[in-house]
Amino acid sequence: MRWQKGGVAICLGLIWLGWGQLSQAADEPQAREIVDRVARLYISQSSIATVEMQITKENWHRKILMQFWSLGESNILVRVRSPQEDAGAAILKVGNQTWCYLPKANRTVRMPASMMLTPWMGSDFTLNDLVKQSRLTDDYDIAISSEGQRDGVAVSEYTLTPKPEAAVVWDKIILQVRQADRMPVWQRYYDEDGKLVRELTFSEYKTASGRLIPTRLVMQSMDKDGKTVVEQTIITYENIVFDGPISEETFSRRNLKP
Amino acid sequence: MNVLLLMKIGWRNLWRNPRGTLLTALALGLGLTLLLVSLGLLDGSHEQMVRNGVRFASGHVVIQARGYQDTGSLELLLPAGVVSSTDGFLHSEALKPVVRGVSPRLLASGLLSSAANADGVRIMGVIPQAERAVSLIPQRIVEGNYLRDDQASGVIIGADLARKLAVKIGGKVVLMTQAVPQSDTEATDEAGGEMQSTLLRVSGIFRTGIQAIDAHVIQLPLPETQALLGVPDRVTQIAVLLDREGDSLMVTRSLRKQLMGVPVEILPWRESMPTMARMFLLDEAFNYVMNGVVLAMVGLGILNTILMRVLERRYEFGLCSALGLRPVQLAVMIIGESLALTAISLVLGLVLGLSLQYYFATAGLDLRWFFHSSLPTTLVFDPIIYSRLSLTRIASSVVIVFMMAIFISFYPAFKAARTELPGALKVF
Amino acid sequence: MSGQLLRLAWRNLWRNPRRTLIAMAAIGLGYAMLLFVACLMAGLRHQMIETGTGLLLSDVEVQTQGYYPERPIDQTLGGPNGTDVSALVAVIAADPRVQAASPRVYGYGLVSATHQSVGVQLLGVVPDQEQRVTALQTQMVKGSYLTGRMPKGVVMGDKLAVTIGVEVGSEIVLLTTAADGSMGNDRYTVVGMFHTGLDAMDQGLVLMSLATVQDLLRLPPAGIHEVGIKLHDDGITAATATAAALEAQLSKTLPVQVHAWPELAPDLAGYVQFNRRITFILFFIFFLLAVMGIVNTMLMAIIERTHEFGMLMAVGMRPVQVVGLIVAEAASLAGASLVLGAALGAPLLWYLQVHGLNLGGDRGAVSLAGVVVGPLWYGRQDFTADAQAALGLAVVALVSALYPALRAARFRPTEALRKV
Repeated sequence: MRWQKGGVAICLGLIWLGWGQLSQAADEPQAREIVDRVARLYISQSSIATVEMQITKENWHRKILMQFWSLGESNILVRVRSPQEDAGAAILKVGNQTWCYLPKANRTVRMPASMMLTPWMGSDFTLNDLVKQSRLTDDYDIAISSEGQRDGVAVSEYTLTPKPEAAVVWDKIILQVRQADRMPVWQRYYDEDGKLVRELTFSEYKTASGRLIPTRLVMQSMDKDGKTVVEQTIITYENIVFDGPISEETFSRRNLKP
Repeated sequence: MNVLLLMKIGWRNLWRNPRGTLLTALALGLGLTLLLVSLGLLDGSHEQMVRNGVRFASGHVVIQARGYQDTGSLELLLPAGVVSSTDGFLHSEALKPVVRGVSPRLLASGLLSSAANADGVRIMGVIPQAERAVSLIPQRIVEGNYLRDDQASGVIIGADLARKLAVKIGGKVVLMTQAVPQSDTEATDEAGGEMQSTLLRVSGIFRTGIQAIDAHVIQLPLPETQALLGVPDRVTQIAVLLDREGDSLMVTRSLRKQLMGVPVEILPWRESMPTMARMFLLDEAFNYVMNGVVLAMVGLGILNTILMRVLERRYEFGLCSALGLRPVQLAVMIIGESLALTAISLVLGLVLGLSLQYYFATAGLDLRWFFHSSLPTTLVFDPIIYSRLSLTRIASSVVIVFMMAIFISFYPAFKAARTELPGALKVF
Repeated sequence: MSGQLLRLAWRNLWRNPRRTLIAMAAIGLGYAMLLFVACLMAGLRHQMIETGTGLLLSDVEVQTQGYYPERPIDQTLGGPNGTDVSALVAVIAADPRVQAASPRVYGYGLVSATHQSVGVQLLGVVPDQEQRVTALQTQMVKGSYLTGRMPKGVVMGDKLAVTIGVEVGSEIVLLTTAADGSMGNDRYTVVGMFHTGLDAMDQGLVLMSLATVQDLLRLPPAGIHEVGIKLHDDGITAATATAAALEAQLSKTLPVQVHAWPELAPDLAGYVQFNRRITFILFFIFFLLAVMGIVNTMLMAIIERTHEFGMLMAVGMRPVQVVGLIVAEAASLAGASLVLGAALGAPLLWYLQVHGLNLGGDRGAVSLAGVVVGPLWYGRQDFTADAQAALGLAVVALVSALYPALRAARFRPTEALRKV
């Protein structure tokens, strides 16, 4: 499949951010705790979510509506609701195996594991990002880099530097967090030349199942000169339920077909 | 008169006109020289062509797991222990002079990402020292360095890939691979292994000119690759480069005998690279035909020379006849002359030919010398041809030219022998 | 005076017919051989190229700017709205250098059946047009090539078929990211399998009809990625120049980039260049051989006639005229020999080009999955080489006559007459 810019890179960044775990390494404990909290924003025993994804590319623009179910770390089901041509498509991942139901062909096919790492539907996110599949990595050293005000709100910035052996492509990630409720505001990814390559922005904070989470995420790519480009992907959580009851039956192949 | 005396007279005839004789000998000798040089170049260039081709792939002979050639399945690895047993064998006294390089490789596919981009890649886990002797990639480094023998971690990528990922020497890239499932069943269960990610730093960038390689092939140290894929001590193939293409079948057979009973397939390059073989088949046929043409031309030259010599001496032969020499004796004398002349020419030709051949065999013929041309394409291959002439070739060339000269001289000899007396003695 | 000289020269030649005929035979045969070699060499080069390009790569490819080498799906000729495909193909095909042209669409996707799913390249073509440009249809080992009758039929490599577990008649599913980002997917039937010996194709290519791929990729009928071109036989070695010319011409109405096979397959180009250089060297060597024969002939002929020249000078011919006479003889000899050589060579050349050299038997039988590759080697006319050889030989003949001629002219008649 053709690779869009940094789809996988994003995956790694997000793995750290939303859906990984941090170790108890020796850096500022408070900083680590805060960043850790942000990382665990979307993690739970189980979840059901409805997500809208808007993809803007040079030549086209699409809006996709999907539903996600997850149980533990290894059961995921994604179903596409709209638009029409893709409605009914579904992906099921159980353990190491992945299947995909294709609506037009009316067939279920096996997917190679690498499919989870390809940009989903041409967006800037991979399925891995979206279904919160991740491996544990403790890849970064964390330090608080500044504190200040943004639109009248007190925020702190944390700089994350990759550990020497960490399998990440970034040279640096800076995360801005609201001091009051520890909500992330934006996350910026820099390459080894110090250039900003992508920016993930969080907004529309809402409470779901007792948690406060940002429900709108915008991933913006930069071109070689650091200017924003047309390509971007916006993810909106229309609703999400954490730790609700989900039966194992949901994650069966029979359930793949609509 | 007995034959020996006639021969002696024949010999002395030659030296009555030393300059003419030497000129003729030179002319004939040059024929042999050119024959040797062109044979050497033809053989050498064909050898070079094949070598260039196989060095981008899997060498003259390849050892791989049974079924790999047909399926290309990356799960098919060589049984453990094959590398060490063949290594010893290929470096043994018997095969050492024939083998130029042995490179065990682990092949896999994966995803290489940088901050800017990502792409699917074909991974080659190699031992740098061994790979250098077999593949051309180590010689095509344009930036940075090839993998060092003591380097534990690092990656070499192609120029097209480097551009797409926007990385420089020392830059970070992350390689994602799936561990190879090691099941014994034929089941093509898509369980696969776990995905592994590794951080790598770009040690060097190569450019071969072949887009498929420059955009997708990467090389890592073998131990690192084995660790990534969870298959310590295993490899996919062993590529063997030989000194001479002609030994491919012999080495294949020896290896098959050595590894009898082991579930491997050992293939000479013609079987592992059939399309290349087809293209080279034409080149081989070309060589054959050219050999024939050169021989024919040399033969023509000899014919011409000898005929000329004989024809111009009608007066002399007439005289001999008049003095009592019988036709047969005259013929023998002429043949004796031809033999002697041919012998001298052959010596001259051999000396000149072998020295030229030696020069081309060591210094090589640099094709760029002739053609600083207009080529839009970068030269993918080594432009220097090393002449190659086996002892058999030399011997057979000499023998053939000698036989040709002798046979060719029969006709004029007997023609001359039947010279009609009164006519031949006319001064004009 | 020169007329007389020439007639004298010609008659001199025939005073000793045997010697003259032998010399003519030598030079003539030498020339005929050079013709033979030139013809074979040109044929070899050509066939090497054919072998390399014939299957999938065409001689020249026309694409939109920026398409090559990444091949993004949305970069169609003529931009997002595409272009009038049949008109474009017709314009290209009308060019006298072009033998045939064929529109193509490329894609990438996952092919899936009972076993694994595998990433493959998709290629959509119009069968009857494509068959005039490339030769994949000759490599079929099972089933049949694409026909118009089954729009959702596909053709794939035999190794791929084994990997995913299909036979002719099996159903497969293709999944891809379409040009508008949606999940293109559909079911297709395997109608045939090919074996080329090239892994990249046998393991990684699925061929289908143009319209079907456009459907899958959500491209309009006007959206194609490339026009593949087959040039006329003698234009293949000049493909780069033709590509540049086509680019200049087509760019007037459409932003295009035109690539020729040396750029698309630099390794093949490398082989051809290699071969060309070797053959040049060999030709040179053969030329030397021919030259030697001539020089020898000339030298002998003239040195043996010292007596005769002495006579001529004794009866009043001036040295300059003697030289002139000798040169004229050499010229006539050379001319006559070349004509003889051409006459001898012509039937041989004709045979080479029409019937070819059959190198079958022990050398020949390379069979790739049942398809025997008969190394029938066709020659090709190489007029430039022929003319160059003729000129070269003539010059050599004249020059080699000059030295002894000058020597002969400097003899004093009395000395010359004494030579018996």
